[in-house]
Amino acid sequence: MAQYLLLLRSDPSAWDNLSPEQMQRTVEKYVTWRNRPFVVGSNRLEMTGRLMQKKDDKIGVTDGPFSESREVLGGYFAIEAKDLDEAVARTMDHPHFEFGSIEIREIMPRPEAN
Amino acid sequence: MLLEECMSEVSSPVLLEHLFRREAGRMVAWLAGQLGSQHLQLAEDAVQEAMLRAAQSWAFHGVPEKPEGWLFRVARNFAISALRRSARMDGEALIATLEAPGADLESAEIEENLRDEELRMIFLCCHPELSQESRVALSLKLVGGFGVGEIARVSLAEEATIAQRLVRAKRVIREKRLPLAMPPRMVLRERLDSVLEVIYLMFSGGYAAASGEELIRQDVCMEALRLGRLVAASSMGAPRVHALVALMALQAARLPARTDAAGDLVLLEEQDRALWDRKLIALGFSYFDRSIAGEEISEWHVQAAIASLYAAADEAIDWARILENYDHLWTMTRSPVVALNRAVAVMRVHGAAVALAELEQLAGSPVLRGYHLLPAVRGRMLAELGRMEEAADEFETALRCDCSEPERRFLRRQLEKAAAA
Repeated sequence: MAQYLLLLRSDPSAWDNLSPEQMQRTVEKYVTWRNRPFVVGSNRLEMTGRLMQKKDDKIGVTDGPFSESREVLGGYFAIEAKDLDEAVARTMDHPHFEFGSIEIREIMPRPEAN
Repeated sequence: MLLEECMSEVSSPVLLEHLFRREAGRMVAWLAGQLGSQHLQLAEDAVQEAMLRAAQSWAFHGVPEKPEGWLFRVARNFAISALRRSARMDGEALIATLEAPGADLESAEIEENLRDEELRMIFLCCHPELSQESRVALSLKLVGGFGVGEIARVSLAEEATIAQRLVRAKRVIREKRLPLAMPPRMVLRERLDSVLEVIYLMFSGGYAAASGEELIRQDVCMEALRLGRLVAASSMGAPRVHALVALMALQAARLPARTDAAGDLVLLEEQDRALWDRKLIALGFSYFDRSIAGEEISEWHVQAAIASLYAAADEAIDWARILENYDHLWTMTRSPVVALNRAVAVMRVHGAAVALAELEQLAGSPVLRGYHLLPAVRGRMLAELGRMEEAADEFETALRCDCSEPERRFLRRQLEKAAAA
């Protein structure tokens, strides 16, 4: 079984205008999905942070994420699947699609030394 | 696939049903109770923030063991830090109130205190200084925890209109310094009547607004019923409060039978009574029994009596007794809407010709102008008398008025029948 990381991106204000009832229904959908047997873990990321990059021998620190992109990485789920196709199929009904996009990347296994 | 998903969600509830909505109302009532009605907006902002944080965090980490306590703590902490940031003169005092040990959310008496806070909030939202429309919208928002969009759907109004109503109402509360307190004895009666009126307007909004999402309108009906019971259980629980609860419970019992699978209206006489909610009927009758304990006979008593006659009917509805009650209600209210309902009972008891003659007196009523039910009822009477062409005209008139989508479909069917005959 391989592991895949689902990177959840959305507009940071996507949930701001939900009513309490809609918020609850949204939470319940995420939690229900999270309780599926193939989900290994999940975490939420703070919507803002710092971007560090080297420029002219100096490491510059700026507020991130970049304002150009409306979609911000807000959290991730880790799931198990036998291959990328299965990972995609398993992600099809993720509730996050109401709010943003999901990028799926395989978590590369440590290569066996032989 | 979709259905399976719904089923699996029903079978494993993550949170108590309506927890967010319910706690939203309780938290706003509690925070505003601590801070005073002048800080209603801060209370609302803190609650909104707490729920947003909860939703975002729980979606990834799962629901904590005591979600209510989590929400309350986050809301309180948000209010405290907002007060710290603001340079308010009374900031420190307010922070001290929120941090006081008496404000301990885990304490045993918190449930009881919360009920009192909620009650005070209901009385504030139904204050006579606010317009009637605002009272309904504000109660749904602050006490019921409904969102602006949801309120718009059950009020058959635009979201912007509702948002404006809420802003205006909160401004009146601020400017006129309306307090979060139980009304003084001298005006108690009047204030209680306003509360009952708003609760019933809320209920009928949910009951009638079938153009909205099915779930929301049922939620609104049930919220009105809950508020009615809250008032009934308090020191304000006059017999007419019990009568109102009886009325709402008996009417709500019919909700599952009121529309068919296609979402079309089903008339009372044609409803499948097996679909009526037995528990609500029992609840309605128990409140009705309590309501007749005192001397008082209010409009709510008579309305509840009418609802009880429908609910008690096994096969034949006792129209003669319903008509007696409408006669009584008419002498109490002189309301054209009551007269219109009464005319339907007259039709059942004395025939369509008599009822139609009585309806003529309502033709010029300004209250009923543009009200779709007047031509709709007249159309039914004319159809019953075989005057199909005139009936069709009436149904067409009714269709030109504002009404909900299922009502519109119903009227169209009546029109087709009349036109085909």
